[in-house]
Amino acid sequence: MARPADDPIAAPGTEVDFAAFDDLVTSIRAWVGSFPEWPPARGVQAAWDGVEPRLDRARRELSRLLVVGVVGGTGTGKSTLVNALAGGEVSPAGDVARPTTVAPVVVAAPDVDVAWLPLEAIGARVVRSNAPAVANVVLVDCPDPDTQSSSPPGAEPRPSDGNRNRDLLEAILPACDVLLLVATAQKYRSWIVAREVAAFAPGRPLLFVQTHAQRDHDIRPDWQRELEAEGFTVPRIFRVDGLDAARRGAAGLAPEPGFAALVRAIDEELAGRAARRVRRTGSLDLAGWFLGESSRLLDPCRDGVAALMAGAAGERARLERRLADAVAVRLRAGRSGWQRLLTGELLDRWQGGAFAIFLHAVAALANLWPRGRGVGGGVIGRLLAGEAPVPVTAGRASWQHLHDLGITEAEVEQSRSVLSGLAARARLQPPLVGRACLDEAAVESTVTALLDRSGLWLASGIDRLVAERRGRLDGRAVRWGFEILFSGLAVLILVREGIDFFYRRLWLGEQGNGSGFLQEAIVWLLLWGLALRWLLLVRLRGGLDHDIERLVAGLGDAHLVDPLLADFTAAGERAAGYLAEQRRLAERCATLAAALDEPAVGLGRLRSRAP
Amino acid sequence: MTGNDVGPPGPRCRGTNGGLMSGPNHASPPPAGSHAAWAGVVVPLAAEVDRLIPLAATLGVADPATSAWHGQLFGKLVPQLARPPVLVVAVGGGTNTGKSLVVNSIAGAAVSRSTPEAARTRHPLASLPVGMAATDGIGGLFPGFVPRRWESDADPITASPLPGEAEDILVWKEDTTGRQPAGVVLLDTPDIDGTLRDNWHRAELVRNAADVIVAVLTQQKYNDAAVRDFFRPAATAGKTLIVVFNMVDWPRQRERIAGWLATFRAETGSDPIAVYAAPYDPAAADRGAIGFHPLPECTPGGDRTAPAYLTGPEVIAALAASDIDRIKLKALSGALAVVLDPVAGVEGWLEAYSASARAWQASRQRLADAAHVEVTLPPAPREIVWNEIWTWLEPRRSRFDLAVSGVYRLAGRGVAWAARGVGLRRDAAERREDFAAEELAALKRALGGFVERLDDACRADERLAGVLAPRLVGADRTAWFADLQARHAALPVISDDYRAFVRAELDRFARDNPATVRWILAALNAGAVARPAITVGLGLAGAAVVPAAAATAGSLSTLVHTAGDVVVGTAATLAGEGALGLTAAGLKPLVERLFAGWSMERSRVLADSIHDVVLGDVLTELDRLASAGSRPEPERIRRLLAAARELA
Repeated sequence: MARPADDPIAAPGTEVDFAAFDDLVTSIRAWVGSFPEWPPARGVQAAWDGVEPRLDRARRELSRLLVVGVVGGTGTGKSTLVNALAGGEVSPAGDVARPTTVAPVVVAAPDVDVAWLPLEAIGARVVRSNAPAVANVVLVDCPDPDTQSSSPPGAEPRPSDGNRNRDLLEAILPACDVLLLVATAQKYRSWIVAREVAAFAPGRPLLFVQTHAQRDHDIRPDWQRELEAEGFTVPRIFRVDGLDAARRGAAGLAPEPGFAALVRAIDEELAGRAARRVRRTGSLDLAGWFLGESSRLLDPCRDGVAALMAGAAGERARLERRLADAVAVRLRAGRSGWQRLLTGELLDRWQGGAFAIFLHAVAALANLWPRGRGVGGGVIGRLLAGEAPVPVTAGRASWQHLHDLGITEAEVEQSRSVLSGLAARARLQPPLVGRACLDEAAVESTVTALLDRSGLWLASGIDRLVAERRGRLDGRAVRWGFEILFSGLAVLILVREGIDFFYRRLWLGEQGNGSGFLQEAIVWLLLWGLALRWLLLVRLRGGLDHDIERLVAGLGDAHLVDPLLADFTAAGERAAGYLAEQRRLAERCATLAAALDEPAVGLGRLRSRAP
Repeated sequence: MTGNDVGPPGPRCRGTNGGLMSGPNHASPPPAGSHAAWAGVVVPLAAEVDRLIPLAATLGVADPATSAWHGQLFGKLVPQLARPPVLVVAVGGGTNTGKSLVVNSIAGAAVSRSTPEAARTRHPLASLPVGMAATDGIGGLFPGFVPRRWESDADPITASPLPGEAEDILVWKEDTTGRQPAGVVLLDTPDIDGTLRDNWHRAELVRNAADVIVAVLTQQKYNDAAVRDFFRPAATAGKTLIVVFNMVDWPRQRERIAGWLATFRAETGSDPIAVYAAPYDPAAADRGAIGFHPLPECTPGGDRTAPAYLTGPEVIAALAASDIDRIKLKALSGALAVVLDPVAGVEGWLEAYSASARAWQASRQRLADAAHVEVTLPPAPREIVWNEIWTWLEPRRSRFDLAVSGVYRLAGRGVAWAARGVGLRRDAAERREDFAAEELAALKRALGGFVERLDDACRADERLAGVLAPRLVGADRTAWFADLQARHAALPVISDDYRAFVRAELDRFARDNPATVRWILAALNAGAVARPAITVGLGLAGAAVVPAAAATAGSLSTLVHTAGDVVVGTAATLAGEGALGLTAAGLKPLVERLFAGWSMERSRVLADSIHDVVLGDVLTELDRLASAGSRPEPERIRRLLAAARELA
């Protein structure tokens, strides 16, 4: 008697609520599969695999009748209660032998389709009943969990070796939407029953029933305490006597109040519109339970992941400091390199003019001296010498170039070894992260990348410093000032020589002082030129140390050493993202649950895991 | 094998008194000396086993505390062989089956409070016969429990341990009615199937100590797995069972009981000596004294002329009238049989211990094989070693060919001066600095490599992971490198150990080769620069060149040793007489040793760091586990087991 999906009495908001719930499930699904290589995430995936089909089914089977599994220890009167509810002997009951029920019994109204239940797999028998209590639900009389041995069969065969009741129970319960937990004074504190119920309670509302009411004391207050200690909310426990109820039913008498209340609760809380609410609440509970489980699995890793992230930042800073120190020292030490660079700029921009010609001449002479001397080679030396930053090298040889930048293989391996320890604490093991000691291939990809980035960064930094200084040359006043100062002396010398030659010697006929003055004058001109050149270079170099400091201070933003530790930071970030998403999803689920929460009168549920 | 196989031969007795056995045709009780003879074997056996248990636990052998033999050995044989025999009668069963009510009924007094709520009895209660408290008491009879004198019938429910006291309390009370038979200790026990697992454990401790168990069964619980699992080991260990079916709908369910009992017997392998039915009678329960209907038809050979109804005290009196000595002996033999079982007994555990010890030995070997790392130190600055040799040579100088040494020294200085002049050579202090930096880098790389090998070993071997992972994963590795750096910074250029080593080497060489001593200087000047391949590893025995680096033989320790070859590069080609002298007199090995010794001295800081900071006491722990197989206890235990078999 499956009701149509667009049940006219369904609450108008239901579909909207389910849309929000579907969104949540989609997000959870995407999150669960987002980091399959991480062992804690694999645990989450395993938990999800058990939950996902149920969530799907709950959504698909929104309008189907609820299946109520009657569970409890052997001898607690499950079958008797089912018989009483079904209004006739549908399931064998009695005290002849324990356990009584071996094959589960499914009780449904005559027109209800139960073909979707895994009847054959669980060896269930279907019984039809017209009783009002089963008009709108499907009842399943389940086998007990407490007679099947938990120990393996011994050497001597025992009658219970063939008892598979608990296995059967665990095969049936996944098909149940609601659990009707039956207990007696002797069995309400049974460990094995509590274990089975705890395993199947997430997402399944429960009805609690104490049977044997006419014989046993009322243990409901104590049972309620016990259940609440295990994390259940227990709005109500029904107390019935199945035998008495069956007798009264057969005799056509009115049921006693406890039994009547149970029948009423089944009708009001599990049928029709209530069934949708039960499913929706159950699904949300299940999603909440799953997210709670994933918290339990992931929380122990949170500290480790945070420590890895902090450690990676610390090690990166350490290597960057070494890099910055070495770069600063090298740049400062490369005086002649700077000079050459700046002179080069000078020569490029200043053409023609006496002083320019003088400068070109000096540079030509200086070029006779071998290049690179005093710069000490290395990446920075090469850059300052105006060469390509890094010659093409492969494998271990690249380390040699890194030494120049203050980073040695030992320092990198130290950082990576420290991070390996932290990664192991966060359960991020190879191949999620690389090995501490970089092999040939890893060197190729990390050290070379670092060298490339550093080379580019340094080259652009040096270019910037040079360009700033280039600006100082561009003023016409500077250029012509120097030209005039230099040419001034030359003109003075020429004038003096002209006066000497034309006026004194030719005109006055005095004895000249020969070429002596000219020689002296050329030496003075040379010295004057060099002095001017020195002045010019001082002007160009001014504030270089400070600028180098400024350049090096910006090294952190360039993330130059990142390639060396990239695997650790990437893995740490992935894990941190995964953990953060779990928190977000749990909050979303809690918000949704709070928005949709409706108090149930008689249905209990598993709120949380027992402490 | 069950306890019944081992006990003294003789037909099983069926009693006449309400189905209890009595003694007309049983074997005579054991002579007084037999307890002492058993104790002479069992007590030392238990002591040896006890010594081995903590080690076995660290080896990863399953905890024997939950095994049957452990319970029988420590819970029954040791305490009970050491003192005058008493008959321990324990009442056991599931939650809310009326155990306390049965105890109160057969004790004839309200000793243990009975409540309608389940699993309320948290602690066992022992009712002692009159006079026992004044003589032997219960000291030692129930190991694992803290005895507490009874103050009210609520004690088994409410007693809680004092601060620092063990959790398991046993409340005891002396019988005041005078009806409890002498030599019989009666116990109420917590449940065996409830949600409080501590209760199960306490019930099991009492069960292990018991000679007779009164199994309180009900229509709901007689076939529960938890109930079967509790009583089956009792039957296996030769304990005598009395079954009480409680809350029976009497007489309607009388004919059902035979079927229930048959199931119980088949499931537990037990053979109860008496079966009673206690009718469902709320009024009697409220009075605290229920009655018992003997069911002689349920025990083969049961006496059908016995009275149809017994009070509680009459039930215990019937038991006391049967052959107590024989019941006691059967329980003790059964317990011994459980202990001696070749698979499930001590021997099986010992096998697991030995297998585990072997596996640990293999793990240690694996670690020793895997965890070593080659350190390629930079070539030692020559003058460091040279200076030491020069100091040694100084007093012998007059005996040398000064010309030869002079030429070499002069030539060496000239080359050095020239090299410095053209900027190709740094001065001595700079060279030291460069060397120290390079050496530290090499040591750090070695440490990193070593730790990585340990990581790998842990990934490959779960046992090693169990021991090493807490240090490898939990520790702050930055501190390791900082420690190495600090040790390296504090390292003197030449240690006293090395100085002594050089002297000893040179003295020995001079003694063995008096003729060629004069070439030492030449050889050194001509200049071997040794670049030894140092290996730092975990070794099982030390053969270090520098004596101070040697380890205690036989145990796992961080070692520095040279790996076979010392790579000696020569700075200059040796020519003429010098070269001849070097090879002919074995100078080359000497030079190698001197340089290698220095480098090894240096790498000792790495070994020390690994030993002290990285591994801490893990190596000692690993050695302890790996040497478990060679301890004397297993052999002694095997001998004692053989002796016990002969007794049995």
